[in-house]
Amino acid sequence: MGAQTNTIDKAWTLQTPEHVLAARDLVGNDFSLCYQCGLCTGSCRTAYAMKYTPRQIMNLLQLGREDEAIAGGSGLLCTACFACTFRCPRGVAITDLMGAIQRLTLHQKHADPHIQDFYRAFMRTVERHGRFHEAEFVVRYYAPNPLRLREDIRLALMLLTKGKVTLKAPKVKSRKGIAAMFRKAVEIEGRP
Amino acid sequence: MKYVYYPGCSASTTSKEAEESLQAAMKALGVEWTELEDWNCCGAAIGIGTSYLLSIALPARNLALAERAESELVTGCSRCFLNLIRAIHYTHENPKVHEEVNELLAETGVQYSGTARLRHILDVIVYDVGLDVVAERVTQPLNGLRVAPYYGCCQGMWTYAQFDSTENPHCFDQLLATLGAEVVDYELKTACCGGTISLYKRSVGANLIGDLLAGASHADCIITACPQCLFNLNSFQREAGKIKGTKFNIPVLFLTQMMGIAFGLPKKALGLQRNPVPVDSLYEKIAAGAAVSSGAAGASRPK
Repeated sequence: MGAQTNTIDKAWTLQTPEHVLAARDLVGNDFSLCYQCGLCTGSCRTAYAMKYTPRQIMNLLQLGREDEAIAGGSGLLCTACFACTFRCPRGVAITDLMGAIQRLTLHQKHADPHIQDFYRAFMRTVERHGRFHEAEFVVRYYAPNPLRLREDIRLALMLLTKGKVTLKAPKVKSRKGIAAMFRKAVEIEGRP
Repeated sequence: MKYVYYPGCSASTTSKEAEESLQAAMKALGVEWTELEDWNCCGAAIGIGTSYLLSIALPARNLALAERAESELVTGCSRCFLNLIRAIHYTHENPKVHEEVNELLAETGVQYSGTARLRHILDVIVYDVGLDVVAERVTQPLNGLRVAPYYGCCQGMWTYAQFDSTENPHCFDQLLATLGAEVVDYELKTACCGGTISLYKRSVGANLIGDLLAGASHADCIITACPQCLFNLNSFQREAGKIKGTKFNIPVLFLTQMMGIAFGLPKKALGLQRNPVPVDSLYEKIAAGAAVSSGAAGASRPK
């Protein structure tokens, strides 16, 4: 799917539905143990905005319809608060499964470009500097679509006037090593 | 007890007031610590959407650094805490994940052995410093001030399991009561504020924030234990109000800002000028409360 110009996109490309189905390396139980009680959905603050709720996604995975779960885009609304995982009476690793669905969705062309660009811009600054770098994030996030600034202008002004914007890059001594961690993660996750 | 402090990205960028007040309040309480040397971002809520392994290895590097410093790792950010405790748990439960995490960490010349001790700032204040010591430090009791503690989604997973009830935590209530405030209860006090969703999906994020603000609207202010929640609840009151058909103007403070006010620390040291919703009304209410209960002897006891 296009040229992979950075580690983040490479990491997304590596995600396959098999990752979700095999529940590779998950801590906690996989979706097959879900008995559809719905406590996850009841605990989820963003479920109201999802096409498929967490319970429905577990069901879609059980039915082998992971493509439907991915295409629905619900994974992108998971805030990773882990309330569902914590409460699940069957010990299913719901948040991590939602995370896997999220990565699969982000790899797709039709994924919400705001979210895709946000994730990419955020993690690129962490990859390059070891920490989140605000100023660089702003450039990376708004450059693909400067119209986004229209929605965020009030927020930007508030951050500036309240002295909450740092232009200087964070100084992490091991930043090169941290960038190497990103590449290593792609290498390991790409292993058969 | 030796501590190393992990600020996290949020407290060092968009929520500087959390960091400033935390340092000031801890100094007032006599807690000594050094900043974790060369710490890195824990991946926030974004790491998990990039790579499963990275979302464990990024926080694990900070744990490895804390092991090297032979100190307990303290963070004032609930999101960081969640990621760090998840890394501890996952590497403990799954040897293969632990091995792969160390393979990643080798790139930065450290290894995580699994002995790191992690603490949340609330835990340190309430159980290490102690509420009696906090009470002694109060010079300006918050009498007459109705405060809503916002625990946030630290309730998720193991955060409060470490030192409090997961479904009905109370340590934050006790701390605020010790400062002399009247603690108000509301339903969503342990619900997620949406984290970064407010930035890339404003309609959903503002709606979640609106529910929280509406739920706690009978309080004079909301107090958070996480810089990210602080940013969210403060920055999007206008958008949240539009969705809920009302106008919100509720001051939202970080817990050490509220403590600092009760300790009589200067406003500037607490970063109060950075709070998007002005906090001056709180000082007026505290002054009015002090006038009413001029004989009040320090802090009221926790339940």
